[in-house]
Amino acid sequence: MRTLTVALNTYREAVRDKILYVLLFFAGATILASKALGYISMGQDVKIIADISLAAISIFGALIAIFVGTNLVYKEIDKRTIYTILSQPMWRYEFVLGKYLGLAMLIGTTTGLMGFGAAAYLWILGGAVNAAYFEALFLIYCKLLLVTGLSVLMSTITSPILGAIIVLTAYFLGHATGILLELPGHFDGTLSKQALEAAYYVVPNLGNFDIWREYANGVAVPHSYVAWAAAYGAIYTVMLLFFAAVAFQDKDV
Amino acid sequence: MGAKTIAIETCELHKVYRKHLGRKGKPTLAGLNLQIFENEIYGFLGKNGAGKTTTIKMLCGLMKPDSGSARILGQKVPSRDARKLVGYLPENPYFYEYLTPKETLTFYGRLRGLSAKERAREWDRLSLDLDLRDIADQRVRGFSKGMRQRLGFAVALVGNPPIVILDEPMSGLDPMGRRRIRDLIVRLRDEKKTVFFSSHVLSDVELISDRVGMLVNGRLHRQGVMDDLLATRVQLVEVVARGLEPHVAQEIARTAFRTRHSEESDHFSFSDMDQANAAAAEVLAHGARLIEFSPVRESLEDYFVREQVQVEVGV
Repeated sequence: MRTLTVALNTYREAVRDKILYVLLFFAGATILASKALGYISMGQDVKIIADISLAAISIFGALIAIFVGTNLVYKEIDKRTIYTILSQPMWRYEFVLGKYLGLAMLIGTTTGLMGFGAAAYLWILGGAVNAAYFEALFLIYCKLLLVTGLSVLMSTITSPILGAIIVLTAYFLGHATGILLELPGHFDGTLSKQALEAAYYVVPNLGNFDIWREYANGVAVPHSYVAWAAAYGAIYTVMLLFFAAVAFQDKDV
Repeated sequence: MGAKTIAIETCELHKVYRKHLGRKGKPTLAGLNLQIFENEIYGFLGKNGAGKTTTIKMLCGLMKPDSGSARILGQKVPSRDARKLVGYLPENPYFYEYLTPKETLTFYGRLRGLSAKERAREWDRLSLDLDLRDIADQRVRGFSKGMRQRLGFAVALVGNPPIVILDEPMSGLDPMGRRRIRDLIVRLRDEKKTVFFSSHVLSDVELISDRVGMLVNGRLHRQGVMDDLLATRVQLVEVVARGLEPHVAQEIARTAFRTRHSEESDHFSFSDMDQANAAAAEVLAHGARLIEFSPVRESLEDYFVREQVQVEVGV
């Protein structure tokens, strides 16, 4: 009940965030502009549009998660609204979880809006909007939930700017875990090697969620893989929320 | 008379804020011991930075002490059970700007675990008590300081907690707003609640507090019943007499430190109660009328400044 109350209020608040509309505008513009790239790709237009549209949903969704998420708890402290909330008979983890769920609802709404918009666009252009499309969209949402979890964790321990830098770095590294696997070999005998190796095991492999290229190219992805990737994301997200709750538990506000 | 029940108790509370790079600063609280009884209004005084807000935040579960402990009606602080017993008004309260007072109270009612029926009842009660009905559907964004304070008060009272903790409730309010808050605090005591509040508006504290505590350098420097603290310090005694013979008036004026003669009466100011008593006896003995005999006691502000200066010069 209390978690849901915080979640609904967070959703209501986040919907008013101007950055959300700026990012949604650019996402929509990118999806629409994908047709231009389609023209120069010799009969591959629908494939290109599908590819770019889902990539735009993923990237702009992540930017929303990062820029709104890293502000989430910090803003409550900065605006002092947190005083009257945490002095109520509620557990602190309920507050953190409520903030997360509110943003997860918002990300769900924006992903749904962008996803269904892109699906309609694809359908009008003669593309196949099938179960594979929605599976690709679902895994994008799972990835965004994980990024949201990391953003909320950062929001409990650091400033929005530093938090956003850390989450953006993790986001890029998460899409390039292969580099983290190869790079340590070049740093033998230094601390950097251990740091890079540790980063490989700590940073989630966000590439696991990207099956939109398979969809765009008509390559079938087994349902079991989708379920595995979703579970992978869920485990990471729960861990991040656990750390956020622990970090926030004893924080002086 | 039975022993008083302790509503709020702190034991050796210590808190040091860390500066940059984890370096420890000066202690904000350096072993604070407090006892606030049930059904009293306790004014918590101190200069800026004395540790009042830190203490209040600890009692409300927003901060943890480095060491020491606190209890609210026997419940350990911080704990959910202790927070159930407390209503809190922070200094300059902030609420979600896009909510209306009705939505705000609903939000806090939900956080307190009230049912829909209880929330509706609380709105009826508090909107009437705090005059929120006319602004029920206006967004908080456009509220004046006084309106926000009233809403903050209502939020602190949602769920009818037995203990109300107020941090600078009169700060920035006009005389009407201050009077309204004072009346509300007194009404809370009449409703058998305990009120613990900090304020820099010492004239208001003096008017409504049963007891006050003065925090200096993170410790409780003085504490006591208002009348006991101030009654012992009579600054001057004003004696006004009518119908005095001029020679008697001159005689009395010798011991007074200030005199004033008007057409109808003679005014004498004494710095000493015994001298004032002797003067009053003289007036009556000569068949004149004693119009006024009023000891002017030290105000809380005078007391506060005097104590503060003594600490600073190391007396």
